[in-house]
Amino acid sequence: MSRRVVVTGLGVVSSIGIGRAEFADALRAGRSGARPISVFDTAGFEHTLGCEVAGFDARPWIHRIDPDELGRASRFAVAASRMAVEDARITEEELRARRGMVCVGTTDGEAHDLDQLAEMELAHGPAAMDPVLARRSPATRLSAAVARDFALSDVEAVTVATACSAGNYAIGTGFDAVRTGEADFALCGGADAMCRKTFAGFYRLGTVAPDCCRPFDKDRKGILTGEGAGMIVLETAESALRRGAPIYAEVLGYALNCDALHPVAPDRASIKECIELALADAGAEPGEVDLISAHGTGTPANDVTETGAIRDVYGEKPPPTVSFKAMLGHAMGAASALAAIACGIGITDRFIPPTINHRETDPECAIDCVPNQAVEADLRIVQNNGLAFGGNNAVVVLGRFDEEVAR
Amino acid sequence: MNPVITAWTAVSPYGIDRESFVDGLRSGDAAAVSDGAAHPAALVPGFDVRELLGRKGTRSMDRLIGLAVWAVGRLTAGRPAERGDRSGLVIGTMGSLQSTMDFTRSSLTEAKPYFVDPGRMPNSIMNSAAGQCAIRHSLTGPNVTLAGGRPAGLSALACALRLLRAGRASNVLVGAVEEYSDTRSWIEAHSGVGGVLGEGCVMLRVEPAGEGPALAEVLAVRSRVAPPGDVEGALTSCVDDALTAAGLSADDVTIEFWSGVPDRPDPVAELIGDTGAASAMFQVAAVLATGEPGDVAVVGSADRDGAVVAAVLRLGGSR
Repeated sequence: MSRRVVVTGLGVVSSIGIGRAEFADALRAGRSGARPISVFDTAGFEHTLGCEVAGFDARPWIHRIDPDELGRASRFAVAASRMAVEDARITEEELRARRGMVCVGTTDGEAHDLDQLAEMELAHGPAAMDPVLARRSPATRLSAAVARDFALSDVEAVTVATACSAGNYAIGTGFDAVRTGEADFALCGGADAMCRKTFAGFYRLGTVAPDCCRPFDKDRKGILTGEGAGMIVLETAESALRRGAPIYAEVLGYALNCDALHPVAPDRASIKECIELALADAGAEPGEVDLISAHGTGTPANDVTETGAIRDVYGEKPPPTVSFKAMLGHAMGAASALAAIACGIGITDRFIPPTINHRETDPECAIDCVPNQAVEADLRIVQNNGLAFGGNNAVVVLGRFDEEVAR
Repeated sequence: MNPVITAWTAVSPYGIDRESFVDGLRSGDAAAVSDGAAHPAALVPGFDVRELLGRKGTRSMDRLIGLAVWAVGRLTAGRPAERGDRSGLVIGTMGSLQSTMDFTRSSLTEAKPYFVDPGRMPNSIMNSAAGQCAIRHSLTGPNVTLAGGRPAGLSALACALRLLRAGRASNVLVGAVEEYSDTRSWIEAHSGVGGVLGEGCVMLRVEPAGEGPALAEVLAVRSRVAPPGDVEGALTSCVDDALTAAGLSADDVTIEFWSGVPDRPDPVAELIGDTGAASAMFQVAAVLATGEPGDVAVVGSADRDGAVVAAVLRLGGSR
């Protein structure tokens, strides 16, 4: 059995906007989420900007669980899920009557809590660690909390921990579950909270930019770490049409592969293979793709390698290739989920969000990155890349839903 | 035709290979225990990453990664993967709490907060074991890390079945790994977990039927989420779901194992300790170690955060 799978709800917690409408406006305006980091003490670091989710209270979105029992990433996941479900105009009762899947991708889970536990231990010894933080630290909570906050029991809840491509993994997992009839709906995406551990790690690797993230620019200096959650509702096209639900996009296909070469450096040939597998899964030819949402971290290595792989698939004139990380920073496990949502918004609202902070394209990354200004565009097929440490590549292909045309 | 398990291995508190696990389990004697931080610990005896895996590429490898790389190596030794052959890997784990928190500790204690060891940064992220296994054993197919508590291995098995069904992998090495560390011991103690903490890794090869002699057929894996306070109810429904999907009834079941379920004893944990994220996969290993052809086994497991998963296996493969 293979059923068509569509996206009917979008939920967003991001540094540039909360909820679909605010996020869409920010994408069109090319807003930047960069601001001084406040969630941990940045003393001793020279560069201290990040794309933090500021001024957002998740509590109103959390209905059943005591918010104090949830870490920052789980709160983001629950809040974005509730926004997605509301956006899909489906009730909790309707969800409970169906078999479902909740799949949340993450890099760090609740590492922000683990950071605090480490700090307590250093100050007062291991016996002094806060049991509330210890209990809420497992990354399993990200998916389980979503299920429990909606009082969903007939669901498979999984947390995919494949680092910075985890959002795409989660969408692919939900897609397969709905496509094959294993589940009637999937609530999937990614969530992460900024933490000292990962900031320090990227900083030490020399990949944290001093001012802003400039993907594909000749003067790009790296990432800004980010955070947030992007969650989407997937269901069959038949179910969405029956409900009269909004359909933002169809999931046409996806692919996973692994470089199996280096713990952190991306591999051009392997990324090329993953893109080709995804396009084949989607039944799409490279010439049909209207937009690529790149992983586009803005590090020297990623952008050269990734655009090289894109040219290996598409030839010397690839479709417009943007990186949402210029606006959102690197939201880790949420990154490719937020990017998929941005693609869905672009398809629906017929525009390409820009790659902001752009001055001069690096000749080694020769692509049209849609610099600084959004452009109107009729997007039929969009490719969304997610790459990660561990060589964990995941590419999702989305398309405008056309009832008459099944691919 | 259901996918089948064609090979398996275990590195456990009984020893570094399958034989020692099988022998230990059959002896009924609990594995040796030493003092840990807040718990007694049943460690994998003599497990030294550099001694077993060599010095090349192991300088930054933590214990959890080492356990996984070693276990995967037992399976690929007899049947190496080749680049591009779509051999997949799915690992259930909580990652190394020791590596994760050590990384933060170094940021907090060094002269500068970024004087951290870049070689160890990947270890602080949960997918490092799967990534290292892929590098060491040329596994270029889908490479998935699922964060899970005791049922993690069963969630991984469900994921492997999904990848096979969708044609995304030719065969999948699927397993779960847990390490003992002092940090894990303290976090578990603060989470209200007592008893002996164990460690180890179990890996299975799962592939479409007909590819090789089948040790067991994977009839069904089903999952639910327990409402707070009702693990038993959710598990019962989950097992019913799985048996129904397998076309069987409770009367057909000849072996059952439970982990993380209040009032249902875990005989494997009594022997090798609480192996955390590897718990349910160690029970699958126990089924493979002790079952007879024709046995129908149910392995059910509950995560303390809500997920419950049940798998139904038939030993001896397709018939």
